[in-house]
Amino acid sequence: MTDTSATREARAPAPPSDAEIASLLDSLAVSPASNLIGLLQNIQDRFGYLPPPALADLSRRMRTPLSRIWGVVSFYAQFYTEPRGRHTIRCCRGTACHVKGAGRVIDAVQRELGIEEGEMTDDLLFQLETVACLGTCFLAPAMMIDNQYFGKLTPQGVQSILRSFRAEHT
Amino acid sequence: MNRLQTVSDLAALRRDLASAPKPDATLRVCSTGCRALGALGVCDALEAEVAKRHLADRVRVARVGCHGLCAGAVALVIDPKGIFYQGVTADDAAEIIEKTVLGGKVIRRLCWSGNGRAVSRQRSIPFYKHQTRRVLANCGVVDPTSLEDAIAHGAYATAAKALASNDPEAVIDEVTRSGLRGRGGAGFPTGRKWLLARQAPGEVKYLICNADEGDPGAFMDRALLEGDPHLVLEGMLIGAFAIGASRGVIYVRAEYPIAIEHTEIALAQAQEAGLLGENILGTGLDFRIEIRKGAGAFVCGEETALIASVEGGRGMPRPRPPFPATSGYRGKPTNINNVETLANVPLILREGRRWYARVGTDGSKGTKIFALAGKVNNTGLVEVPMGATLREIVYDIGGGIPRGRKFKAAQMGGPSGGCVPARYLDLAIDYDSVKDVGAIMGSGGLIVMDEATCMVDIARFFTDFCQKESCGKCAPCRVGTRRMLEILERICRGEGEMEDIDRLAELGRVIKEASLCGLGQTAPNPVLSTIRHFRPEYEAHIKEKRCPSHACEALAPVSCASACPAHVNVPEYVAMIAEGRFADALDLIRRRNPFPSVCGRACHHPCELFCRRGDVDEPISIRHLKRFVTEHVRDLGMPPQWQGPRRGRVAVIGSGPAGLTAAYFLALAGREVTVFEALHVLGGMLAVGIPKYRLPLEALQRDIEYIRRAGVNTVTGRRIGSLDELRGEGFDAIFIATGAHVGGKLGIPGEDLDGVEDALSFLRQVSLDQLKEVQGRVVVIGGGNAAIDSARAALRLGADAVPILYRRTADEMPATADEINIHGDGRVRAVACARMRLGDADEGGRRRPIPVPDSEHLVECEWVIAAVGQYPELDFAMDDDRVAVTNGRLTVDPVTLRTDGGDVFAGGDAVTGDPVMASSEGIDVFAGGDAVTGPATIVDAIAAGQRAAQAIDVFLGGAGELPPDHGFASPGKAAEPEDQAAAHRMPIRARSPKKRRSDFDEVIKGYSRQAACAEARRCLRCDLE
Repeated sequence: MTDTSATREARAPAPPSDAEIASLLDSLAVSPASNLIGLLQNIQDRFGYLPPPALADLSRRMRTPLSRIWGVVSFYAQFYTEPRGRHTIRCCRGTACHVKGAGRVIDAVQRELGIEEGEMTDDLLFQLETVACLGTCFLAPAMMIDNQYFGKLTPQGVQSILRSFRAEHT
Repeated sequence: MNRLQTVSDLAALRRDLASAPKPDATLRVCSTGCRALGALGVCDALEAEVAKRHLADRVRVARVGCHGLCAGAVALVIDPKGIFYQGVTADDAAEIIEKTVLGGKVIRRLCWSGNGRAVSRQRSIPFYKHQTRRVLANCGVVDPTSLEDAIAHGAYATAAKALASNDPEAVIDEVTRSGLRGRGGAGFPTGRKWLLARQAPGEVKYLICNADEGDPGAFMDRALLEGDPHLVLEGMLIGAFAIGASRGVIYVRAEYPIAIEHTEIALAQAQEAGLLGENILGTGLDFRIEIRKGAGAFVCGEETALIASVEGGRGMPRPRPPFPATSGYRGKPTNINNVETLANVPLILREGRRWYARVGTDGSKGTKIFALAGKVNNTGLVEVPMGATLREIVYDIGGGIPRGRKFKAAQMGGPSGGCVPARYLDLAIDYDSVKDVGAIMGSGGLIVMDEATCMVDIARFFTDFCQKESCGKCAPCRVGTRRMLEILERICRGEGEMEDIDRLAELGRVIKEASLCGLGQTAPNPVLSTIRHFRPEYEAHIKEKRCPSHACEALAPVSCASACPAHVNVPEYVAMIAEGRFADALDLIRRRNPFPSVCGRACHHPCELFCRRGDVDEPISIRHLKRFVTEHVRDLGMPPQWQGPRRGRVAVIGSGPAGLTAAYFLALAGREVTVFEALHVLGGMLAVGIPKYRLPLEALQRDIEYIRRAGVNTVTGRRIGSLDELRGEGFDAIFIATGAHVGGKLGIPGEDLDGVEDALSFLRQVSLDQLKEVQGRVVVIGGGNAAIDSARAALRLGADAVPILYRRTADEMPATADEINIHGDGRVRAVACARMRLGDADEGGRRRPIPVPDSEHLVECEWVIAAVGQYPELDFAMDDDRVAVTNGRLTVDPVTLRTDGGDVFAGGDAVTGDPVMASSEGIDVFAGGDAVTGPATIVDAIAAGQRAAQAIDVFLGGAGELPPDHGFASPGKAAEPEDQAAAHRMPIRARSPKKRRSDFDEVIKGYSRQAACAEARRCLRCDLE
C-alpha cells in the first residue's frame, strides 16, 4: 500500500462518459417534476457516487439550478461526489455499540487499513464510513461490509476479519 | 393473487386459508435481524433437510420476522408446540428435524437456560413471560413476504370493516378515546392529530408513515416493517380512511435494506390484491402508497424537515404554523404518524378502545415496544404495558446486567432523551413520568449502562451526534452544540474546570429555548440529565483527573490498570507471565503493590470487573495470575536498597495494608520509617480479620518480610497514646493507618448476653487461636464479607448449623438488622426476627427492605455473631488539636491524605471517605458504614498507603515518585486473535466443601505453570492499542 497518488489515479476506474450519464438519465425519465433525492439515489446506485457531470446534466433536465442540487447532495450523509472503494465498511457508532467499545474497534479498523473515516484504501478495495446506528444493537459492537454484518467485534477480531476479507476479494 | 373486489371477498379468502390443511410442524426462523448471524443459511439447511426426507407436505420452514430475543440469534420457534431454540446454526438443522420435529424430543443445548435450567417453551422463558406482546403478536409468526399468511392471521379484516362502515368520524372517535399517543417520541394524542387533518380543508390529503428511525439504539420500527409490514399498511389504510387521505408515503431509512425490501413486497402484494390503490375492496376509497428512502439525516425525523426531504430538498425544519395538518407535503394537509403508532391502530379497532385501555397508566394507554440493548443480558425487542418499571424491563425481561456489574442508568429517548439513574428502577414508565426525571419516552430505545459506562462520555457521545446532525439553520443549535462538545471533550481528557459544568448548563438552557425544531430543543438533554443525576462523575474528571468508570481513553488508557486502586501495571505483568518471566512479573507488581501474595488471594480484583476480555467471554484471571507468580518464585528477593543516609523520620501507626505500604514506599525513597502495631502480630486486619483458609499466614508473612527488607522498622505490642508522644520522639511526620477494628453494635436488647459477639472480635479470636471451638447453632446477622467469613469460620470450629439472617435477599448487599431482638437469660437462647420483603429502590438503586406484618418468629441458637459495621478507634487522636474527627473518622484532604495538622497524614479505614469515590467505585466503606471489610478494602488501603507515601515524601522535601513501572514487557507479544478467540479462562480449582469444613487450610488452589501461561496469553493487551 505504498501507491503514489499517480498510480492510484491510474488504477482508479475511469469516470463515466457523458453518453453513459445521458443514457441513465434518459432511462430515469427525468423531468422538472421528478423527485430529486430518488434520482440522486439512482445515479449513485449506478456509478457508486455522484459524478459532477451527471449533476450538471440533471440540473439542465430538471430545469433546476445546480446550486440547489449541490445543496441537497451536500446535506445528506449518504451522497458522495467522489469515487469510492469497491467495498464499503460501515462501522456502527450507535449508543449500544459505543458503550460496548465501538471506539476502539473503529480505531483498529482505521489502523489496519491505514485510512480515516470517509477515505478509501489505496488499492480501492475498501471505503470506510461510520454510521449513527445500524439498528443491530444486539450485535454490538457491529459493522457491515457491504450488506454483510459482523458483530460482537474486538479490536483484534476486526484485524483478522479485514485480512481474510481482503484475501478473499483480491 | 386475484384482486379482491369486495369486503366479503376478503372474508371468504380468510376462511379458505383457515380451512387449508395445516402442516404437522412449522419452523419459524427469524430471517430479518438474525440474518446478520446466518439465519438464511439455517433456513436453507432446514429446507434441504425437509426435502431430503420428503417431508415437504408435513413440515414447513417459514422465514419470519424478529422473535424479539435478539441475544439468542439465530432464533427459531417450532409450532404448534412453541419450542424456542436459540443460537442455531446450519449444522443443527438435521438434528432439529430428526429429534424435535420427528422425534418430539427437546434439544437442551439449543434451549434458553437460566439458573442452570433449560426452558424449551417460548412462553415459559422469563423474557417472554413478563411481556405483553400485542403489537408484536404476529412479528415472528407471519411470513412477512406472504400476503396470504398475513390475511390468514387477520390482516386487513379490521380495515375492511372500518371502510365498510363508511363512518370515518367513528374511527377517529374510537382512536381518540382509546388514549393512543404518538409512539415516535412526543406522545401527541393520535386521534386529535387525525381530527385536525380531517377537518383541514383540501381535496388532496397525505398520510406519511415516519420510518426514519434515526435514534441510535432504536430498532422497533425496523423490526415491525421487516416482520409484519401488512400490519403497518393496514394502520395506514385505516388512518387514510379516517382523515380522507388519498396518498400515502412511507419515509424509511436507507440503512434498513430488509425493511425496505419487505415493505416494497407488501405494497406490491396489497396493490395487486386490491387492498391498496383505487376503489379498495369496492368501497370507493382510493389510497396509494409510495416509499421514499431517506438519505441519512437524523433531523428528518422532525415532521417539517421530513416533509422537506420527501419533497426532494434539504431536510431542514421550518417554523410552525402552518402545521402540516393544514399545509404539509406539497402544501396539502398532511398527517404524519410513526410506524409503531400506526401498528397500534388495527388493534384498537379490532378489540375496542376499552380492551386497549385496559393496560397502561392514566395518561398513557396500551403497550410500548422498547429496543433493549447495551449492558443487558437479553438484548432484543420487548413490549410491555405502559407503566411497567425499569426493573421489570431490565431484570425480569432483560435478565439483568452481564458480568455481575451494577446497573448505573438507562438511557431513554436517544439523543433527545436522558439517563435515568438506578434510584428510579421502580418508577412506572410512561410519557409523563419519564419526562419528570429528565428523559423522554422517545421512540423506545432503551440502552442499559453499567459501572463501566462513563456518563460524561455518554453526554459527549450524544452531543457529538447532535452536533453532526444539526442541520445548521439555527445558530444556537449549530454553534451551541459545538461549544458544548468542545467543553465535554475537554472534561473527558481531564482538562476541564469546575466552571465548565455551569457553562454546560447555561448553554443547554439557551439552546433549548432558542432552537426552532425538536433536535435543537432536546439536544442538551443528555448533558443536562447526566449533570443532574451524575454530577460527581463530572467532578471526578475535573478535580481528580479520574474517570470513575475507567472508560475515558485519556484518563483510563488501560481499564484494568485504571480500575486497580493501586494502579498496578496489569497488562505488562500478565505479558511477562505469558513470556515465562515470572520473577520480572513479581518485581513489576511490587513497584506499585508490596502485597502480591495477599492480593493474589484476597483482593476483590476490580481489574477483572473492568477487563475488556470479559466483554468477549470471560475476564483474564488477573488475581490468580498474581498469586501464581508469588507461589512460583520461591526466592523472596530483595527490594532495591537505599544507598546513603536516610533523611526524615516517619512514624506509621498501624501495620495493616495501608500502613505497611506507606512504610515500604517511604523506605524505598530513603526515609527512616517505623511502624507501630498495638497487637503482637503485624498485618492488621490481614492478620486478624481474614480467616486463614482465605489467606494463609505464610503468604502474609512473606509479603511483610519483603517490606521489612526494604528497611522498614517495626514495633509490635505498642499502642500509641497520643500523637504528641510520637512528636516528642522526634518524628517529622505521622501516618495514621489504624484501620477500623471496632465491630458495630446492633443496638437492641440482649446484646450483652454470653454468646453474642461482633464479627470482628469473633474473627480476631479465631485468628489468634484464642477461640478454638463453638457448639450448637450459630446465627450470623449481616451479609457482608465479615458475616460470610464468620459463618465459614464457625462451621470449621464445629458449629452444627449457621443460619445467616439478612434484611434483603441473597442477591442484595448487606445492611444492619435492627428489626431483630435477641432473647435469653444470661446466655443467648434465640433471635427474634421479622420477615422482610423488598420494596422500591433507594438512592443507589438497591431495594429497601420492608417488614412483613405479623411475621415475627424466633430462631433458636447458642451463638449470635453480629456483622453489622465496623468503626475505627481513634481515642489517641481525639484530643489532638491538629486533626479533626468527624462521624468517628479522620478528616483528610482526599488527594494528599493530609490532615489540617500538617505533619499528620491518615489513610485506610480510619479516614472519612470522599463520597464521590465511595459512590462511583461502589465501595462505601467510608460513606455508608456498611460492613464491607477485608477483601473489598485491601487494595484500597494499599492505594491509600501509596498516596500517603508520595504526599509525605513531598512534605519532607522529596519528589514523591514511585518506582518506574512501564515499558518492561516486550511489546507485540499479544497472542494471535485466533488463539485468543479459542482460549477459555483457565479454571480455578478449590478443595471440596466436605474436606475444607474441618480445617483452616487454604480453600483455593494455585495455577500450574502451564495453566498460568495459557491464561496470561488470553490477554488482549489493550495497552498496546
